[in-house]
Amino acid sequence: MSNQRQASSASQTPHLSPAELSYLYTSLSLPKSPIRPDGRSPTQFRPLTAESNILPGTNGSARIGFADGTQAIVGVKAEVEKTVLSTDTLASSEGGEGEDSTSTSNSAAASGHGSWVQMSIEIPGFRDDDALPVFLSEMMRESLVGSVADGGSDGGGDGGGDGDVTMAGGLKGRLVINKRWHWRLYIDVLLLSQPLSYPLPLLSLTTHLALLSTKLPKLKSQGEEDPFFDDDWEVAEYLYPRSSNLKAAGNASQYVRPPVTLLVVSVGENIIFDPSREEIAVADAVLAISVTRDTEAGNLKLLSIRTVDPPSRLTQPAVPNSENVNMLGATAPTEDIAVLNPATGEEEVPGVWRPRRGGVKRSVIANMVKTVLKKGGVGEEVLEGLEGVEVE
Amino acid sequence: MAITILPPVVEDVAPYHADSDDSMSGADSDSDVEMSGVSRPNKKPRTGDGKISSGIVTPGEIVTADPKWMRGHGTYMNPLSTSIIATVAGKVQQTNKLLSVHPLRARYIPEIGDLVVGRIVEVQSKRWKVDVAAPLLAQLPLSAINLPGGILRRRTSADELQIRTFFSEGDLVVAEVQSVHQDGSASLHTRSLKYGKLRNGVFLAVTGTGGSGASSSSVKGGVGSGSGSSAAAASSGTGGGVVRSRRQVWTHTTANGGGEVDIILGVNGYIWISKHADGAEAVSSTTENVSITRMEEMVSSSIYSSQNDDVPPQTRREIARLTQCVRVLVQGGVRVDEDTLTDSYEASLQVDLEVGDDDEEEEYGQEGREYLEGAKARRILELTMQRK
Repeated sequence: MSNQRQASSASQTPHLSPAELSYLYTSLSLPKSPIRPDGRSPTQFRPLTAESNILPGTNGSARIGFADGTQAIVGVKAEVEKTVLSTDTLASSEGGEGEDSTSTSNSAAASGHGSWVQMSIEIPGFRDDDALPVFLSEMMRESLVGSVADGGSDGGGDGGGDGDVTMAGGLKGRLVINKRWHWRLYIDVLLLSQPLSYPLPLLSLTTHLALLSTKLPKLKSQGEEDPFFDDDWEVAEYLYPRSSNLKAAGNASQYVRPPVTLLVVSVGENIIFDPSREEIAVADAVLAISVTRDTEAGNLKLLSIRTVDPPSRLTQPAVPNSENVNMLGATAPTEDIAVLNPATGEEEVPGVWRPRRGGVKRSVIANMVKTVLKKGGVGEEVLEGLEGVEVE
Repeated sequence: MAITILPPVVEDVAPYHADSDDSMSGADSDSDVEMSGVSRPNKKPRTGDGKISSGIVTPGEIVTADPKWMRGHGTYMNPLSTSIIATVAGKVQQTNKLLSVHPLRARYIPEIGDLVVGRIVEVQSKRWKVDVAAPLLAQLPLSAINLPGGILRRRTSADELQIRTFFSEGDLVVAEVQSVHQDGSASLHTRSLKYGKLRNGVFLAVTGTGGSGASSSSVKGGVGSGSGSSAAAASSGTGGGVVRSRRQVWTHTTANGGGEVDIILGVNGYIWISKHADGAEAVSSTTENVSITRMEEMVSSSIYSSQNDDVPPQTRREIARLTQCVRVLVQGGVRVDEDTLTDSYEASLQVDLEVGDDDEEEEYGQEGREYLEGAKARRILELTMQRK
């Protein structure tokens, strides 16, 4: 039980002995080819099982199970809500909807508002207002509503109903029905198992998949009328337009995708994806990197980088043999020569665990971001993989 | 390919109901027991002529209401009624008139003489509290360890004061169960040169009826097929885990230049795989002139070291391979012992060769080829079972 409290730092940190930590760290920081405890390559993910549209009562849902047994379910529900207009919006809206005047003032009616997306995360053993669920949901919501395409801030206003494939204005713009009405999205994230490792990547991937499968009923009304919708669920439109509908039109990379948050750790000079619990425990730095696919040129766009408190700094240091009172007389004096760790610049005796004091080199961080973003990189592969999950 | 996404395996659910419906009727063929008292909400009516006797009940579920049965382990009986109710999740087992429920996962029950791997969770004034995956923490008294200094001597108050220099929180120890108390908790001892603090390796915990741990709580879809793994589980009887066997500690000579690797299978399901430490050699490498009489003293004092030796990358690779072999075995529901682990290690080498042969794209071949779980796991299991 006490382990669960620790989960707010970076994960439920297992108590590892200094010898284990040292062994893990040395294995993972071997130059060029780290040896992970489960033999994966640095960018390899554990196989996961995924399915979407599993909950009939939702607009979109997904379930993902990681190989370590953790599972999450996400349900997305949408609701029509009346847009509350502030007075200055009303005033400026007369000025026309193609102008920048709207975007300078509160242009919620045209470009959407971040508060239209609500996210709640439930993790077993945690209260709703514990730090971890709150932090996680804000971290995921932030990249979700922040993923605005570079296109004009308005335009989603009139295009929202009729299958706007470019999705100007990102998710927020897509939620606009017309000036007076909008969709409100409720994203409910449920972790089914104990958080064995930091649950962020699991929850993010599941949310991504659920949003991909989310459908909104087709709008029948036009313009500024009160909205009414087609009863036929068959003709409902995807919240994020699918490439499969328009396969002939262009390549899949043209479409906006929900963001994905990946957990990346660095150990020494090495960069490791999909870290297991033990790997997080020895990491120099833990980063949560959110990426999405941009409309233009199909490149990946970096949305946010968050550092997560690495648990390694709270661990116990090992006692070198030369200082161990139980070893007095057993070792030749001062045989251990401290060497400089190239990654952290601290002096260390090889084979002796020292808690990481935090701090990584800028080149390492840059490298992490580059590995995610580069063409054919990890980010792209993850997005492609999730795209491949059959909807329905 | 960085990521593999599998479709969900429709395991358990469908065949599971079929199993549970015919839980005991197959085993009990001589008498016509009406299982009408068995309450199974929202399941189909029982057919009563099935052959499978591997029904799974959950805690609180009424196993039977028939008064002719006697209750065994894993069940209880309300004093006012005759129905037998399961207290654990597991399979119903019937021995003549005795009904018991064998748990799917259980904690380790210590027995005298068991070799266990444990983790120190608490340091008290004269003893340590050790997590050995048992219902209660085991205790390791200060009087039950080898004090440094070679000769057996009385422990002093100085030893009590520096108790953390022997073992401190988080340290892993290998020990033996010295005695079991009334309440089921164990007392350990490390009064042998083969026991003590563990280093130069990796730890993993397996579940099963032997031990309990997080590493393999429930692996859905990790091993692709439900049918394959359940077949393996059936052959081993009670499912994966470490069982008491002839040898719990042995040295494995690995391939690929990995050298020798020590494997310690704790009876409690905690496993330690490390570079082989040849006691005398290790000491003579650190100190040049040691008389043969002091040798033992040297060895005994090095058991309190928390500094790792230099482990070459090849050895680390093979240790990682062995670790995965254990995981594959556990996921497949095969019990882990010296034979199965050696077999699966050989099988993993063979699978590597097979894969290496028909690899066209060299780049992808190299990428993550050391990862054995997932696709390769099934093949390894098959080969392992063949060898048996």
